[in-house]
Amino acid sequence: MRPRAAWHPWAMLGPTLALLAVFFALPIGVAAYESLFSWDMLTPPRYVGTANYAALAAHGELLRVALRTLGYSVLVVAGTMTLGLALALLLDRPGRFFGFVRASVFSAYVVSWVAVALLWMWMLDGNSGAVGRLMRALGVGPLSLLGDPRWALPTLAVVGVWKLTGYAMIVFLAGLQGVPRSLLEAAALDGAGPWARFRHVTMPLLAPTAAFVATTSLVTSFQAFDVVRIMTQGGPARATELFVYAIYEQIFLNLSVGRASALTVVFFVLLLAVAGLQLRVWRGRAGVSR
Amino acid sequence: MIARRELLRAWAASLALAPLATGCGRRARPEYRDGRVVVTFWYAYGDLVRKVMLDLVARYNASQTRVFVEAVHQGDYYECLAKLRTALAAGAAPTLSHVVCEILPYLARAGVLEDLGGYEGARALPFVPALAQEGTFDQGGAQPLVAIPFNRSTPIAFLNARMLDEAHLAPPRTWDELLAAAHALTRHAANGEVRWGYEVPISWWYWVAMVGQAGGRLVEPDGRVSLGDAAGEKALRFWQRLVRDEHVMRPPPGRDYQAWQSSNESFLAGRIAMMWSSTAYVRYLEDNARFPVVAAPLPRDVRASVPTGGTMFVVMRSAPEAEKQAAWDFVRWMCDAEQTIAWSTRTGYMPVTSPAVELLVERGWYAKHPNDRVAYDQLGAVDPWPWAPELFRVDRDIVEPRLEEGVLEGADAHALMDAAREEAGRPA
Repeated sequence: MRPRAAWHPWAMLGPTLALLAVFFALPIGVAAYESLFSWDMLTPPRYVGTANYAALAAHGELLRVALRTLGYSVLVVAGTMTLGLALALLLDRPGRFFGFVRASVFSAYVVSWVAVALLWMWMLDGNSGAVGRLMRALGVGPLSLLGDPRWALPTLAVVGVWKLTGYAMIVFLAGLQGVPRSLLEAAALDGAGPWARFRHVTMPLLAPTAAFVATTSLVTSFQAFDVVRIMTQGGPARATELFVYAIYEQIFLNLSVGRASALTVVFFVLLLAVAGLQLRVWRGRAGVSR
Repeated sequence: MIARRELLRAWAASLALAPLATGCGRRARPEYRDGRVVVTFWYAYGDLVRKVMLDLVARYNASQTRVFVEAVHQGDYYECLAKLRTALAAGAAPTLSHVVCEILPYLARAGVLEDLGGYEGARALPFVPALAQEGTFDQGGAQPLVAIPFNRSTPIAFLNARMLDEAHLAPPRTWDELLAAAHALTRHAANGEVRWGYEVPISWWYWVAMVGQAGGRLVEPDGRVSLGDAAGEKALRFWQRLVRDEHVMRPPPGRDYQAWQSSNESFLAGRIAMMWSSTAYVRYLEDNARFPVVAAPLPRDVRASVPTGGTMFVVMRSAPEAEKQAAWDFVRWMCDAEQTIAWSTRTGYMPVTSPAVELLVERGWYAKHPNDRVAYDQLGAVDPWPWAPELFRVDRDIVEPRLEEGVLEGADAHALMDAAREEAGRPA
């Protein structure tokens, strides 16, 4: 279909562009501007140039927060995709039982982050929680998974994986419906075993779905806040201080709007770069496979 | 040329940020409901304390024809403070709130708090000196009166008397006795469970107490943020020793009040024998423990020392005049002996006025509740906070994370405190 006038496409895009401009571009622009000031919200702002960025970089805080967030995201994305795909393959069958299991797994995604965080805090309690008891039964412990700086971040990642796996599974299940049975049957006739069929037929056709799941999981994991706020408040020893929580802490607890804005700008650039890179890699793979 | 550049910078700053920065906007008209001035009161309590406070607010409202206090819950202290600052910047602040002591000098410098010194009877309120602004802060009396004591507390030791009796131990009076008692009380069960001898949240408030006990102070008379110098390091090293070398203390999981709550729960469940907590929990612990709870003063190192905690009432300067007067009426009512007594006896917070304390003595309250007496007597060891606007930043951004690093990761106490002092000395 061709537009009747040159401005027609712009008219269609207009509402979306306006929303993006007001709720996305403008706030980022304001944050970029405010990052050049030292400001506590209550006293007049003072222009400091790039001092906020320099301070964050000088203490190594910026790098540590970025690496921590990346590490958390890698764990969540990898865990979510692996488990989501495995469950989708396992549960892609007719029958009430499989339907029930699919719904059960997906239900975690529907539950709010707050409820999920509270549930896991209860389970992870070193003394009375189910995980704590299990670990003691296995002879491990006493270990405070949320209280130990070495374990707190991976533990939060496990919670993230638990929450997001249902979503990944549903998207992969939808993707599996698009894999023609005839191709799988043809491969089987050619002597391909289950692994070969999965590797050479299913996986390449699922590549766009995987790219979608990876990107959305990445964005979700980068934006982790509720789970940090409720379960660890960025501790212990800042081991779980991820980007969004660090921004919250800088602006609302440490009274530094400038530094929080600088973190926001870096966060935006980093997320843009990682998402772009990820999409590029996945699209490249999909192209090669085809 | 430089002047022009400065001018441009100032212009740019004001252009973009002025609407918010000068925010601190004023509401010109007071809010009325059924002919009564509405005082919006943002508070930060949960559970029992919230219930007691709402009871008192309801009593005040029932006694009134001119004023109506609308109490609005805003999360914990820090959440409430975050919302308060944002609301101040947006020109939508409440009339009345209550804030932790460490933030007061900063808010006062920002000019957002009402000077209450000129309000009727303000200078004559008979506060317990250590809990009023004048005693809570070094030179606090020389500052404009911006804070009225409300829920005030100090750190205190809570002991499981049954466990101490079984081990034939008396409450520890020194750091050395604390270490020895913690050793004697720590038990490792065959199934891996541990009963810890001692527990305290790795938190600024308790560290400040130990800095004082080790003979230090946070800010020197010349204004240098010393963080206690050697005393600050000694306090951190003592924690490191208890947790990492002697294995007699568990740092509770979580931060801020989550860690405090975790300690309380472990104490009540008999999983720890001794803990440091706030006097504010005395009633909660006494009412919920299945064993006798004994309160004891914090042990000393070279001297006894505790900071004060809890919060103080503050009235927002931006509120309309009628609301500020109404808020003052409510604050004064809360400071009457009967309200002070109801508040402190039902919660565990300190009675903040001398007449309330005298009445409690007369009525035999302290004879029946010796733990409350211990808390009150400990006020003799209070070290005032410095009146330093950077205090809150030093607490939240600089010291607290380093304490965790030192205790949980074993980072060198001297290096950590050196870095903290250096950062505290830099402008924000």
